[in-house]
Amino acid sequence: MLCEKCKMREANIRYTEVVGGVKTEYNLCSHCAREMDFGHYSAVFDTDYPIGKLLAGLFGLDADGGENDEFDVNQVTCPTCHTAYSDFVKDSRFGCPDCYRVFDLLMSENIKKVQGSDTHTGKRPLYNREGGQEGAGEDEETRLLKSIEILDSRLKEAVQEEEYEAAARYRDEIRELKERLGEHA
Amino acid sequence: MLKWYQETENQHDVFVASRIRLVRNLTHCPFPVKLSGEERKKLAEKLEEGLKDIGSVCRKDFRRISLSAAGGTEREALRERRAIGAAGAAEEGMESLLLSEDETVSITLAGDDHVRLQCMSGQAELSRLWEEADRLDDYINERFPYAFHEKYGYLTAYPTNVGTGLRAAVTLHLPMLSAGKRFGKLVAEIGRFGVAVRGVYGDGNETYGSLYEISNQKTLGVTEEEVITLVKQMADRLAASERKMKSVTLKSHRTDMEDEIFKSYGVLRYARKLNLKEAMTYLSQVRAGEMEGLLQFKEPVNICRLMTEIQPANIRMLVPEEEENDLNQARAAYIRKLLPELV
Ligand SMILES: [Zn+2]
Ligand SMILES: [Zn+2]
Repeated sequence: MLCEKCKMREANIRYTEVVGGVKTEYNLCSHCAREMDFGHYSAVFDTDYPIGKLLAGLFGLDADGGENDEFDVNQVTCPTCHTAYSDFVKDSRFGCPDCYRVFDLLMSENIKKVQGSDTHTGKRPLYNREGGQEGAGEDEETRLLKSIEILDSRLKEAVQEEEYEAAARYRDEIRELKERLGEHA
Repeated sequence: MLKWYQETENQHDVFVASRIRLVRNLTHCPFPVKLSGEERKKLAEKLEEGLKDIGSVCRKDFRRISLSAAGGTEREALRERRAIGAAGAAEEGMESLLLSEDETVSITLAGDDHVRLQCMSGQAELSRLWEEADRLDDYINERFPYAFHEKYGYLTAYPTNVGTGLRAAVTLHLPMLSAGKRFGKLVAEIGRFGVAVRGVYGDGNETYGSLYEISNQKTLGVTEEEVITLVKQMADRLAASERKMKSVTLKSHRTDMEDEIFKSYGVLRYARKLNLKEAMTYLSQVRAGEMEGLLQFKEPVNICRLMTEIQPANIRMLVPEEEENDLNQARAAYIRKLLPELV
């Protein structure tokens, strides 16, 4: 079972809470449980730990974002396997290797949160002779265009919400992508 | 041929087992979740065909088990022996399994990911297992190009495996530590380093038998060697705490400890019915007693083997069908048969 909060890690902590005779169960990963500031992680082993108030605002977290008028990131869909970004968020599972390219910019922050990094440093395949450069060029261009489109809509959103710091970051990323697009053209 | 968990432990220790798991996917193929039953089967057949000589890499004989055709009990028994993961035990969880005779190497095909490769042993030897997995991985890759991304590394169905696709895990027996008040705090401390501690056997709420698996949580941005070093370090730390606590308790409460251990042995030796929790609890005590030399058996015995083989599905596989209705009885009988007399 996946953690109810981040929906990315395996839930390994189950809290059972009885309030007013109603029993509720929460499944969280150790990371989220810790972040929730439940006070003591040792609660895992204590059955009668009071956590009621701490959970109050917790599960509304998923409700924000995505509903904006002109561009909905949840609609971004992988052309190869037809997994929509909203499916990925829901199941926290990819449909095919191409999903990583399509959702790259949308999810990289989340992956960073879960993994603490977003760049592989370990072993590389010895025998991947294909993975060729010819076909990849076109893919790369499409990918960049798509990413720019997404970032652009996020930039507009950020400006609207007066989140200038975020806006500046999006602007920088867009500039960088456009430069890379130029190299490809 | 004996399976790895049946071999006599040459040294009774806090360390019980080591495990390396890699997940890999092929290029140009959707992850199994997006495949139809027929497509999954085809994929599994293609992989089986390509890997039919995999035994030559590690000089072991492999057998092929069709998991989609196997019964629920058989799948569950494989999961209890940790040859497959929880996902594989589920209905339609995965297509097929290549399992070495001694069950140290298992390769599941068309499960959550295209390939899940696992090397296991009853020794504290993560680095050697990694070398073996690394070799097997290259062998598979030579036949099937992998989905690999410059930034994200090996691509996996779940973002929690992406990068190295590596899970390095050590199983520890922690009867003293886990009974203590500080255990939760210790686990939390270790968690801050990105290492998880999970009970191996239990009912979902409670761990039975005090076997815990220590494993890395992060798979991206760390090298395989870094992961293994980290898990080793944390496992060593827990093992050291366990040993220390044991020696302190032995000094201060020797008679109490002996009493508990001998009572546990007595129950296992003579009980006619044992449920899982009872059996695991007493076996854990007996193992601790043997480790400290408080119990001396006439013949060597591997208590962890018993802990594995008395799990519900495994015990069911061992007894004839007509006795199946009383597993507690079968469990007690099995333990009586394998538990040796004291010197
Ligand atoms: Zn979580
Ligand atoms: Zn896809």
